[in-house]
Formats: sequence, structure tokens, C-alpha cells
Amino acid sequence: MLDPALELLLRGALALLFASTALHKARDLAGFRAALDGYALLPERLIGIAAVALAAAEAGLAAALVAPASLGARSPALVAIAALLGLYAAAIGVNLARGRRDIDCGCTGPAARQPLSGWLLARNALLAGLSLACVGGAFPRPLVWIDAITVAGGLALGVATWIAVHGLLAHAPALARLREGT
Amino acid sequence: MSDALLVSNIALWIAVLALAAVVVALVRQIGVLHERIRPAGALALASAVQVGAAAPVVAATDLAGAAHAVGAPAGDGRDTLLFFLSPSCPVCKALLPAVSALAGTESRRLRVLLASDGPRGEHEAFVAREGLGYPYLLSTQLGVAYGVGKLPWAVLIDASGVVRAQGLVNTREHLESLFEARALGVASIQEWAARGRKGAA
Repeated sequence: MLDPALELLLRGALALLFASTALHKARDLAGFRAALDGYALLPERLIGIAAVALAAAEAGLAAALVAPASLGARSPALVAIAALLGLYAAAIGVNLARGRRDIDCGCTGPAARQPLSGWLLARNALLAGLSLACVGGAFPRPLVWIDAITVAGGLALGVATWIAVHGLLAHAPALARLREGT
Repeated sequence: MSDALLVSNIALWIAVLALAAVVVALVRQIGVLHERIRPAGALALASAVQVGAAAPVVAATDLAGAAHAVGAPAGDGRDTLLFFLSPSCPVCKALLPAVSALAGTESRRLRVLLASDGPRGEHEAFVAREGLGYPYLLSTQLGVAYGVGKLPWAVLIDASGVVRAQGLVNTREHLESLFEARALGVASIQEWAARGRKGAA
């Protein structure tokens, strides 16, 4: 059980995140197929289906998170999100273990190619943990106007942190090249 | 008291969001900086020789009198760096230590040939002064065959006699970019950079 403002914030942030990644994947399905292909985990004929399925799953989960509580879709969606993040982490972990760090993560859409790193595993673990923390729902407390500031501010902060962290991860290879050069 | 906490909380939210915006802006600026300082490549000008095509085979004699078939497949499996220079070109002279360093570290994979043309005496004095230990070819035909218009010009030929990279090299970075280009499988670092930009757009 979480405080309702906190629960609303986390659920909103996860919904925003998955809506945006689904949108990225849908807008550049060819790019996402190439990224999936780079992971070298699926046979070639399944890659097209898997790309569409993952994008659709992400969009569906995002919608389920913001669906009315009476539908009862939220808790299963939160568990499914943790499972999906675990699946992604496993795919990343397998390729890290294979030493294939240079493939595109496929996490942030076509704008920023980003290599694999252990940070992505930590990120997925954190997100999965937050997702599971929301499963129990919120205890009853009337929301007041200050909660609106908490939720809106928290969402904005989450977006900014997400962009900044992925920017830094995307710059990591360039930085490593610079370090080698000196 | 709770009013004071409310005001303080709202003020902190404003501060946190402002700082978050600053962090995002800084990350973007770092991205721009990385973009600016990415390896500057050897300038690939229009040339008589295409990257990926077989190098023209030219017979030339070095100052020591040994005959070389430049551009022919190398029996020892080493790449050839053909470095066109002139004793009267200060940039060429400045680059010689870089060429030596490269030839030293890569000696198992790379053979360095220096090439120039003109009166022999001048070049012999130059070689003695700079202490150059590499075959020094004197051949006008060589420069013509490889379409050398500007100096210092470098051509990287692989062991099978295929041109892998070439360009006007004004700095050590330019010289290294030829090897980068080869490793990346592109004709020039410019092509690679353009590809990267297209991929990012």
C-alpha cells in the first residue's frame, strides 16, 4: 500500500514511459526490427512479429495503467510490466555476457543509438521494483491540491532524469574513445 | 507551521525542476561537444584512384636502388602506407614522426613507403637530415598514377593490392583516420560521419 499521491505518480510515470517507448517503436518499426535483430536471440522470421508484438504490448500496458480502477486491469498490468522489464533485462544480460556490447539497445528510439551496459540492467531492476511497489494499490486518503504539485512535479522530474541518464549513456562510447586517445 | 512547510515544499519543487532542466541542457551540450570533437578525417578529395578498387601497380626504384612494385599484392600479408611528401613541404616534415611511430608500432602489419619526385640530390640530403629509414621512392609516374594533387597525401593499400583509404593528411589525427576508415569499412571518415548523422536524424 502506497500513499495515493505516490502511487498515482509512479503509475503515471510508468504509463508515460511505456506510451513513449511504444510510440518510438511504432514510428520506427524498421529501426526496432534492426535492434531486435542485433540482439541475435530470435530466428529471423520471428523478428517482424516480435517487433510488432512488443510495441503493441507496451502500448496496451500503458493504457491499462491509466484505465479506471474498476476494470481491475492495473495490478495485472503492473506485474506484466515488471515481467517485460525482466525479459528485456535478460536479453541485455545475455548479450552483455556474450560480449556484444556494441549493439544498439533499442531503448530510446532512433534518436539516440545507445550501446548495452550494466546500467541498463540496474535501470530495469529499479523500474520493475517501482512497478511491483504499485501492485498493492493506494490506501484511502483524499487527494488535495498540493498532491497535484507532487504528481506533476514528480512526472516532470522523472522525464528530465530519464532524458539526462539516457543522454549520458549514449555519450559513454564517445567519452571512452576520448579517454583512450589521451 | 504547516503553511511554512507548504511554501517551502513548493519552492523546493520549483528549484528541483529548474535544476533538472539545467542537467538536461548540460547533457545536450555534452552531446554537441562530442559531435564537434569527433575524429577529423583525412580530407578525401577527388582522386584518380577509388577506395575499394585495385591500386595501380607502378614500378619504382627507391633511393637505395631497390625496385618496388607499388600497389601489387604483398607477399608478406602486410598493408602498405604510401606517403607522398616533398622536402619543401613543412607539413610533411612535421608528420614524419607520426609516420615513424605508426610504422614502429604497426611494423608487423604495415609497410611504409615514402614517395616523391624531383632531383635526386635534394631528396638524398632530406633523407639524411631526417634520418628516414623507409624506402624512399622517386617517381613522377607514381604521383600521376595515384592522382596526387596535394601534399602530404597518404594512400593505404591492403595486402591484396586494394586501396582501403586515402586522403590529404595534415595532422596525426588525419593519418590515423585512414586506419580508422579502414577498420570501419568506409571510404573516408567524412563518409562515416555523414552516415552517422543520417542515422541519427
